[in-house]
Amino acid sequence: MLPILKINLADNTSEEFIIPKEWERDFLGGASLAARILYPHLTEKLDPLSPESPLLFLNGPLAGTNGPTTGRFVICGKGPATNLWAESNIGGFWGPELRKAGYDGLWITGKASSPVYVWIEDGRFEVRSAAHVWGKDVYEAQEIVKAEVGVKSARVVVIGQAGEHGVLYSAICCDHGRMAGRTGMGAVMGSKNLKAVAVHGVQKIEVTEEYAKLRSEANRTLKQDNEAKVMHELGSAGVANYAEYLGAMPAKYYHQGGFAGVDNISGAKMAESILVGKSACQGCVIACGRVVDIGDGKKRKGPEYETVVGFGANLLIDNLVEVVRLGELCDKYGLDSISTSNTIGLAFHLFEMGEITLQDTGGLNLEWGSFTAARQLIHMIARREGIGDIMARGSRQFGAAFGAEDEAVQVNGLEVAYHDPRGVSGMALSYATSPRGACHNQSDYFFVDFGHTYDEIGIDYYERQAHAEKAANVAKHQDWRTHFNSVLICIFANVSPQTQVDLLNAHLGLKWTIADLMKSGERAWNLKRAINNRMGLNAYNDKLPKALLEPLKEGGAEGYSPDIEGMLFAYYQARDWDLETGKPTREKLLELGLGEMAKDLWGENNLKPVKG
Amino acid sequence: MSAIFPSEEWLKGLEEKLNSDEHYAEIAKNWEGDLFFNIEPEGNLKEPLTFYLDLWHGKCRKVDYNPAASAYPNTAFKLSATYNNITAVLTGKLNPMTAMMTMKLKVNGSMAYMMRNVPTVLDFVRVAQEVTKEIV
Repeated sequence: MLPILKINLADNTSEEFIIPKEWERDFLGGASLAARILYPHLTEKLDPLSPESPLLFLNGPLAGTNGPTTGRFVICGKGPATNLWAESNIGGFWGPELRKAGYDGLWITGKASSPVYVWIEDGRFEVRSAAHVWGKDVYEAQEIVKAEVGVKSARVVVIGQAGEHGVLYSAICCDHGRMAGRTGMGAVMGSKNLKAVAVHGVQKIEVTEEYAKLRSEANRTLKQDNEAKVMHELGSAGVANYAEYLGAMPAKYYHQGGFAGVDNISGAKMAESILVGKSACQGCVIACGRVVDIGDGKKRKGPEYETVVGFGANLLIDNLVEVVRLGELCDKYGLDSISTSNTIGLAFHLFEMGEITLQDTGGLNLEWGSFTAARQLIHMIARREGIGDIMARGSRQFGAAFGAEDEAVQVNGLEVAYHDPRGVSGMALSYATSPRGACHNQSDYFFVDFGHTYDEIGIDYYERQAHAEKAANVAKHQDWRTHFNSVLICIFANVSPQTQVDLLNAHLGLKWTIADLMKSGERAWNLKRAINNRMGLNAYNDKLPKALLEPLKEGGAEGYSPDIEGMLFAYYQARDWDLETGKPTREKLLELGLGEMAKDLWGENNLKPVKG
Repeated sequence: MSAIFPSEEWLKGLEEKLNSDEHYAEIAKNWEGDLFFNIEPEGNLKEPLTFYLDLWHGKCRKVDYNPAASAYPNTAFKLSATYNNITAVLTGKLNPMTAMMTMKLKVNGSMAYMMRNVPTVLDFVRVAQEVTKEIV
């Protein structure tokens, strides 16, 4: 990996951080390596929105090599809504461009005295005033910055007004609507008065002949893959119909089983009505991005599954064009569409319960199905106006402000994504134990519950509503996906374990096996757990919100609720985690080569020699 | 009605069952699309095998056992699998969704139509399993 450019915005000083080779060996790159780098800096006392709070942009080891979907990068720090480990990975072209400029990472600390943007070009950087860009939406801001740096092919990461205003679930955007949505990294960026980072580089990213051959074969195979075809033709919303059929697609803020309007908002409907094009991230052969025309002749980004469900079934809106508009509004403001739609769903739910009234909403009638109310709430959240100021703190704090924290469908401050564990029970453990709150990207186990198995690594199929018997399988899947989040391969890419090992070996000169790959994933999963344990997380935090434990009265998940206690007990055993404290055992940490973490979590006594 | 797979008798049995099964008729009432299966030789199957089914509104209008690969050029869905994988699906050892998601069953055709009609596809497999008495 190339060096990380470290900039302190308080005084514009910089240094190059050279990544220790043994860290690269153990963690590869991406979120796992970022966790190792940031481990000493993420403390319980650290305020995520303080100048001291680190914000780290990092590539994976295959960035820019045109491997199968390897052009992603990740943004990490401490989550302002969760106070836990935070990571959010994102596609587009910015990460590979950073590598071409001579760096594999950008580490921001400090706070600028006034709004700025950073311009990085071929190993040099400059901090410029962003006073005139502050307040612009993510698309306008990109255009202004690109014009100013005078390089059309420059790539820009940017926040919108939500990040400027400290909305705790603000996103970071690059290119046309590629969003690092989850965990509020946009708020951390905004807290530093950093509006954007523009990058341009001309260095060639070299690959070996062997890698080039393997890469071509992997991309060819990926293009023929059934799932990739669904993603290409329908986008991620292509699974909406099947998810609804299984009761895995939440509706009416997780309180209704099934949504009759699913045919009107699905990826299939989009493909047959408003789709006019597709977009892809750097080097990607899938092209899941949607380009739509909603009747005004303008090409705009179409929504992915989470947005379709969040602003569709979740709010009982079955108008696809309005869902497109709501998703676009979130993007422009730089809001995470999952957390935003979830928090709006909670507002509708509390309004129906009578817990909030017209007086609280400033006269806004929060009726199910009202896209005008949803639109108004998005404006209010991003601008922190009226009830939007409370909603901007996330669903946990919003619920608590009205004495209804239990009604918020979130885990540890991160809003639950739209894969209902009552329809696909593995998601119960995915949400309850994810290191960043209720996340579906740390383990999109719903695909396994749909039927996607992995023979090479022993991830088998269990009935979609099975309980504790699938706990070890979920743990294995988390390790597998943690590997994806290290290499920063897109989870939509069905690239086999052996192919990934071959690609890594060819590019990095390793002699890894599949077992090494899985061990690396397990190591990083436990490292993130250790970071969170040190910041105060314990076994009590591993839980599900009330709504997901109440059986639905209809639909594909009718009558079922996951036995979360039994599942967690089996999961802890599979992980070798301590049942009382929720920490990985000392022995497990030592086995994984995490001696420093073993010492920090368990003290000095009885330390065994550290592996390696 | 059940028969040994693969055989012409099995395909006829499948046609008959598709045309008499009430659950299939209901769930597939909006389905419009023919299927062309290409079974690749493996194990006890020494030569490539094909079969064709024309499925329409919950009924099977036509079957064709081992037609030429070029016989139905405009088929809505072309599916291919090795013999062992197709028999694993027919005996219930391999979940049909797993087969599709792991590329043990390759699918060519409109993914929009397929994803909108997964329940129909799964029920078609159920019927096919029920008419499979024995595997060669």
